[in-house]
Amino acid sequence: MKRLALFANQGATSSRLVGVLLLTLLTLAITFVLPPVADSQLASGAAISIVVLGLSWLIGWSGQISLGNSGFMAVGAYATGIWAHHHASSPIIFTFVLAMAVGAFSGLIIAIPSTRLRGPYLAGMTLAFSAAIAPLAQNYTSITGGEGGLFFNTLTTPHWFLNLFSGQNATIDANAQWTADLAVVVAGVTFFFMANLFHSHTGRAMRLVRDNDVAAELVGVNLPRTRTLAFVVAAAFAGLGGSLYALINATVTPSTFPLTLSITLLTLMVLGGIGTLSGAVIGGIIYAFSSNLVGHINSLTGINPTSNLGANMQGIIFGILLILTMLFTPRGIAGLGPRFGRLVANRRRVAPLATGE
Amino acid sequence: MSQFLSSPIMHNIFAGLAQGVIYSLVALSLVIIWQSTHVLNFAQGAMAMFASYVGMTEIDRGLNYWLCLVLSIFVGLLFGGFTERVLIRPLYGKPEINAIVVTVGFLGVLEAVAQAVWTSTTRNIATPLSQIYFHNQGRLVLLSPFVIFQFALAIVIMLFVAGLFRFTDLGLQLRASALAPEVARLLGVRVNRMLTIGWMLSAAVGTVAATIVASGSFGLYPSDMDGILIAGFIAAVVGGLESPVGAVIGGLLIGLAEQFILSYWSADLAPLGGIILLVVVLMLRPQGLFTKSVSRRV
Repeated sequence: MKRLALFANQGATSSRLVGVLLLTLLTLAITFVLPPVADSQLASGAAISIVVLGLSWLIGWSGQISLGNSGFMAVGAYATGIWAHHHASSPIIFTFVLAMAVGAFSGLIIAIPSTRLRGPYLAGMTLAFSAAIAPLAQNYTSITGGEGGLFFNTLTTPHWFLNLFSGQNATIDANAQWTADLAVVVAGVTFFFMANLFHSHTGRAMRLVRDNDVAAELVGVNLPRTRTLAFVVAAAFAGLGGSLYALINATVTPSTFPLTLSITLLTLMVLGGIGTLSGAVIGGIIYAFSSNLVGHINSLTGINPTSNLGANMQGIIFGILLILTMLFTPRGIAGLGPRFGRLVANRRRVAPLATGE
Repeated sequence: MSQFLSSPIMHNIFAGLAQGVIYSLVALSLVIIWQSTHVLNFAQGAMAMFASYVGMTEIDRGLNYWLCLVLSIFVGLLFGGFTERVLIRPLYGKPEINAIVVTVGFLGVLEAVAQAVWTSTTRNIATPLSQIYFHNQGRLVLLSPFVIFQFALAIVIMLFVAGLFRFTDLGLQLRASALAPEVARLLGVRVNRMLTIGWMLSAAVGTVAATIVASGSFGLYPSDMDGILIAGFIAAVVGGLESPVGAVIGGLLIGLAEQFILSYWSADLAPLGGIILLVVVLMLRPQGLFTKSVSRRV
C-alpha cells in the first residue's frame, strides 16, 4: 500500500515537472521574439510572480494574511545589494541562496510574534513590519546607502549568449534577454518547488490548519510550527523575488518597496487566483504588461497619459479590479476555468457547491 | 513651575501627546467598527483623508475654517455609511480575508483618485488658531493655541462617543447589535441599520483625526494618513481591539514612544516606536492590555 502511494506520488511529481518545464521553455522561447523593452517587463513580471506565489501559498494554503511581503522583498533586495557590493564576481546562485536565506530568517523573526495572531491582527502586524523597513534603511546609512540607496551591476551576460546577437544594439538586446531568461528560469525552479510543496504532507497539513485548526491539532499537526513554516517559505520566496527585482533594476532604495507594492502584490494574487500556480503566473503576466494595458485604456478613453488622471489610472484600475474580483469572483481568473467547466457540467448533473463563492 | 513646563521632558510629553491624540482618534474609529462588524478597515485612513480633502479644500472658495471642519465630518459620516452599504455588507459571513482584501483595494482606489483629483503636492490649510508655541516667562512651552484646540477637540469627540454608547437609546441598540445581533434583531433592533450607523460614526471620528493632521504642520496630501493608520492600528491592538479606552491609551503611548525615540535615539527610527510597543505587548499579553481574556470560538 505504502509502495503504491509512493509510486503514485512519483508519477504526480514527474507530471508537475513536465508541466512547469514546458511552461518555462515556452516562456524562454517567447523572450527570443519579444523586443528588449518587453523582455525587461517580462523579467520584472517573473520576479513578481515568485513573490505572488509565496503570498498565494501563505494566504491560500495556510490561511494567514500578510501585507508585509514587500518588506520581505526589501530585505532580500538589500541583502543582494550589500552582497553584490563586496562580492561582485561570485556566482549569481550564491546571491539567490543568500537572499532566500535572509528573507526566510526575517520571516522567522516576524513569525514568532505574528503566528500568535489571526486574521486582521496578523495583516496589521505584517503591514507594520513592511512600514518599518524604510525608516531602518534610512537610519543605517553606512550599510544601506541611506536615502540614495545602493547601486550595483552584477548581472553579466555570458559571451556565448552575447554571440547569439548581432546588429547595432546587440549588447543591449542581449542583456535584456539574458535578464529575462534568468528570471524565467529562477521562477520555473521555484514554481516546481511550490507545486511539490502544495501536494506534500506539509501542504495537506497546512490546508487542514487553515480549515479547522482544532481538528488539525487533534490529528497531531503542530500548529505553531506549521504556521511559522508557512511564513518562512513565503518570506524566502519574497526575498528571492526582491533579489531578482533589485538585480533587474540594478538598484535598491528605501522607496523601491512602498506600501502600495504590498497592495499590488495582493491585487495580483487575488486577480490571478488565490492558492494556485496558474494564478501566480497570471499575476506575473498582469504585472509585467499592466503599463501597456493602462496605456491602451488611456488611449481608448482619450485620457492624456501625462495628466494627473492618466498617471494614476493604474492605481485606480487595480484597486477597482481588486474590489470587484473579491466581491464577485473570489477565486480570480484561475478560478474562471473550472467555473465555466461546472456551468457546462451543470446541464447534466447538480454540481457540488464550491466554498467561498 | 515655568521651569518645569519648559523642561526637555515636558517638551517631549507635550509633543508626544499631540501626536498621540491623533493616533487615539484613529484607533478609536477602528475599534468602533471592529466591535460592531468585526472588520478591520484598512481604508479607514484613506477614507478620512478623502473626506478631509472634500471638506477642507472648500477653504479655497472662501468658506470659513470651522464650516469646512463641520463639512468634512459630515462628508465622513456619509462616506462611512456608503462604504458599509456598498462594499462591506455583501461580505458579512464570508471569510475574514475577503473584507481585508476589499478594504485594502478601497485604500488603493481612494489614494489614486485623490492624487488624480488634487495632485500629490502638500496643501497647507490656514487655521484661525495660531500654531506658534507659547512662552512662559521667556521660556518655550511646546503648546500652542492650535495644540490646545486639538486636545480639546479630541476629548470632546471621545466623550461624545462614550456618552453616545453609554447613555443613549441609540448607543444601547448599537451595543446590542454588536454583542448579540440575533437577539437584538428579535427584540426589534434594526441591526443592519445599526451597522451602517456604526460605520458612519467611525468614519466621522477618523475624519476628525484627518482634519487635525491636515491643519497641522505636515499639511494635507493623499498619503498623509498611511503611517497614522498603521500607528492607529497598533494602538487598537495594544488596547485589545475591543476596548475604546484601551485604544485611546494605546494611541497616547505610541505618540509618546515615538517622540522619546526621536529625541533620544534617532529621528529616522521614530516610526518604530509603535512596532516596538506592539511586539512587547504581544509577547507579554497577546490579548491586549485592556481586554478581559476571551477564548476564540471554534
